[in-house]
Amino acid sequence: MGEEVILEMKDIVKDFPGVRALDHVNFRVKKGTVLALCGENGAGKSTLVKVLSGVWPYPTYEGKIILDGEEEQFSNTREAEDAGIGIIHQELNLIPELTVAENIYLDRQPTNKFGTIAWEKMYADAKEVLQRLNMEIDPQTPLKTLTVGKQQMVEIAKALSHQTRIMVFDEPTSALTNTEVKELFRVIRELRASGVSIIYISHKMDEIKEIADEVTVLRDGASIGDVAAIADITLDQIISRMVGRKLEDMFPDRIEEMSRKKTLEVKNITVDDPKVSGKYLVKDVSFSAYTGEILGIAGLMGAGRTELVNAIFGVYGKKSIGELILNGEKITINSPKEAISRGIALVTEDRKELGLLLEQDLAFNISLPLLDDISKKGIVDQIEEHKIAEKYVEELNVKTPSLEVYINKLSGGNQQKVVIGKWLATKPKVLILDEPTRGIDVGAKVEVYRLMNKLVAQGVTVIMISSELPEILGMSDRILVMNEGLLAAELSKEEATGELIMEYATRHIKKGAEIN
Amino acid sequence: MKKLLKENSTILALIGLMIILSFLSPVFFTPRNLTNLARQVTVIGIMSVGMTMVILLGGIDLSVGSIVGLAAVTVTLLMQAGLSITLAIILTILLVGVGIGLWNGFWIAKYDIPPFIITLGMMTIARGLALTLTQGVSIPVTAPAFSFIGGGYINKVTSLIILGIALIVGIYSILKAVKRKKANNIEVSKINTFSKFIFLFLGIFLAFFVFIGYRGIPIPVIILVVFVALGVFILRKTKLGRRLYAIGGNENVAWLSGINIFKTKMFVFSFITTLAAIGGIILASRLNGASPNLGKMFELDTIASVVIGGTSLSGGFGTVTGSIIGAFIIGVINNGMSLMGINTFYQLIVKGLIIIFAVWVDIMNKKQRS
Ligand SMILES: Nc1ncnc2c1ncn2[C@@H]1O[C@H](COP(=O)(O)OP(=O)(O)OP(=O)(O)O)[C@@H](O)[C@H]1O
Ligand SMILES: [Mg+2]
Repeated sequence: MGEEVILEMKDIVKDFPGVRALDHVNFRVKKGTVLALCGENGAGKSTLVKVLSGVWPYPTYEGKIILDGEEEQFSNTREAEDAGIGIIHQELNLIPELTVAENIYLDRQPTNKFGTIAWEKMYADAKEVLQRLNMEIDPQTPLKTLTVGKQQMVEIAKALSHQTRIMVFDEPTSALTNTEVKELFRVIRELRASGVSIIYISHKMDEIKEIADEVTVLRDGASIGDVAAIADITLDQIISRMVGRKLEDMFPDRIEEMSRKKTLEVKNITVDDPKVSGKYLVKDVSFSAYTGEILGIAGLMGAGRTELVNAIFGVYGKKSIGELILNGEKITINSPKEAISRGIALVTEDRKELGLLLEQDLAFNISLPLLDDISKKGIVDQIEEHKIAEKYVEELNVKTPSLEVYINKLSGGNQQKVVIGKWLATKPKVLILDEPTRGIDVGAKVEVYRLMNKLVAQGVTVIMISSELPEILGMSDRILVMNEGLLAAELSKEEATGELIMEYATRHIKKGAEIN
Repeated sequence: MKKLLKENSTILALIGLMIILSFLSPVFFTPRNLTNLARQVTVIGIMSVGMTMVILLGGIDLSVGSIVGLAAVTVTLLMQAGLSITLAIILTILLVGVGIGLWNGFWIAKYDIPPFIITLGMMTIARGLALTLTQGVSIPVTAPAFSFIGGGYINKVTSLIILGIALIVGIYSILKAVKRKKANNIEVSKINTFSKFIFLFLGIFLAFFVFIGYRGIPIPVIILVVFVALGVFILRKTKLGRRLYAIGGNENVAWLSGINIFKTKMFVFSFITTLAAIGGIILASRLNGASPNLGKMFELDTIASVVIGGTSLSGGFGTVTGSIIGAFIIGVINNGMSLMGINTFYQLIVKGLIIIFAVWVDIMNKKQRS
């Protein structure tokens, strides 16, 4: 671990219309170390690294960036890259249709003397960069055929294809499986060993403990305290710097026990794989959900959990099969519209692609599934709409300058809160949450957990998919484990342990159709 | 202030253009010329209301020009065949407008065929039908009363009353919106309200000068205003409007939020063709006859109006009022260049450049939004 400071950011101020996102931020990174950047949603983390990487060019901010003793003023991302700053943004930035190699060399393909692209060289170079990461990916495969984790490796490879001195990761693990996270950490450690400095943004405290050497905290756009060595600070101290107070229980208890009544029963849900005939994404899954409990669904990414709840929600129309019994009545649901009218809500996993209209305002987004309820004779009652939006912004503590702000101006975590608010506003009887706390800060997580408990107390049936074991274990009363499209186990709160869940989630189960 | 300028950039461009042309040509700013201009803009204007919706969905409709021709021919032939004017109009709207629209919409909504392809096909089919029905020749209108629709005027006294009512309704609705917002603790921007008043007074005053100064309000202008009001109402106030913006913004999100995509698309693609059919009827009435070649290239002018008006070609973002202003910008440019004796060939070039400029502005804005 070096002592030499490679990067210093001094008195950084960045204003957006109506918000000061960064308010005299100061910090520094040493050569060959991992610095964790922590803070609540909307604290300004992404904005800070966007300033560093030239997304917000000089002089749209104030303050100084000092790289290796010299002041830098990047007027675009290219200049920052050339100065050795690589960044993996919160949202992946690759083009799915292109090959791996084309993505890595997107804006700087090697050319031969005629000015055309030197394909051979490009593939060879790409292979080399990937090998540095120990990745056996064929540079000629189209990106979209890779898993999210692999795609992220490609992003890293892309950043490394320049002479990177500082590598920034903005919430890199939110869509990764456990093994992929391990792989990522291995790469980060190797980068560190080779002298690259790393800025690591995450809401996952265990990751920060594991990977970071030092930590700095932002709150409301301002640095809180100095950079601290990870050994000198406890997680509780980090969290209290982040939220400005002490956080009680991570997983709040439910006050009263509710009576359990079977509300939703699903039988033999099967979803075929649209890409490969004869294969399936979900096969013959049956389970019941009750009032008064939270039903957790665990499993690895790609185990078919999302597809299962999508099928229940009518997303696949008539293409998915199976039986649904809601409150004793056999029903069919062939579209999300029908599901909503039956009182079922689904908080989808990918907020950018499936949850929100990024170019519309907050109120518009929240009211979207409610249009029928807040309209008379086809006319939307905009005052009512405003009231509802306001209510959920308050309830979920969404940090926003107004209700008219475009969604893409909100920080990632606040966007996630809006998705949750949108579905709460439908007043569902059965609420399905697919990775509900992805990308939201510790404080907000506790708020969401509390909210789930409150809903359970109100008699709502809550089903939660989560890839985070502590969350599954901390919140669920009953846990379903899925594995390669099948229901592998149903565990009670008492018998469930992290090891047991992982075992069911990972072991190959014999089943009728072939797996590969 | 900067924001205000940006939000109203198209209308300011229109005002600027009109001022420049008033200096360049003495005839331009006369009630007679402007009345004619307004009449000429109506057909494109009416269609741009529907085209805004189509483009908001992320779609496009290339068949509207041909439908104008087919509708003009159909209504004229039906009258020739002895049908009453009303019956001929209703049948034309149903057969040519709604009928073709449902056909287009069905392929697009049910089978996800790109609107570009379906409406391109319909563009030739409708033109072919028009040519077949007429054997390629022009046909005269036989019912004299028919010309009222495209060529008639509302008398000055009634026109005055209408303008007066428009002014009162305008003031009332601006004030009411402010009051409703205040009552609910929603922020109201003073400068925004103020600019709304300015545009309202300016608009009414101009209409007064133009129409009262000549022969009253032309009937087709009234029809245009009705459809613009309808379009604005649909997009701003109704569920349907919300659905449109939602689908155009992201179809997956819309579907998952319980929106019936099939129904919305069917409506929009039939609405635009219905408007095109009405445009065709107005045109036949104004010209007192129909040629199968009527409406050629109208799809381009309509699309251009919408794009100039700030609607994003990738969907999800835009307004009807913008498109109407866009239609008037194109109308003013055509009119002004003709007055100055500029060859129509050049007019085409200028129009093309303006479209490219407008799309460039749209893309720049989009970059800024994200
Ligand atoms: N393009 C923008 N326009 C206007 N405001 C913005 C823009 N980008 C970010 N903001 C605002 O700046 C503040 C900081 O946002 P930022 O994305 O940096 O937060 P963050 O710390 O990364 O949060 P998260 O953990 O949720 O990702 C927020 O209040 C956000 O609404
Ligand atoms: Mg962020």
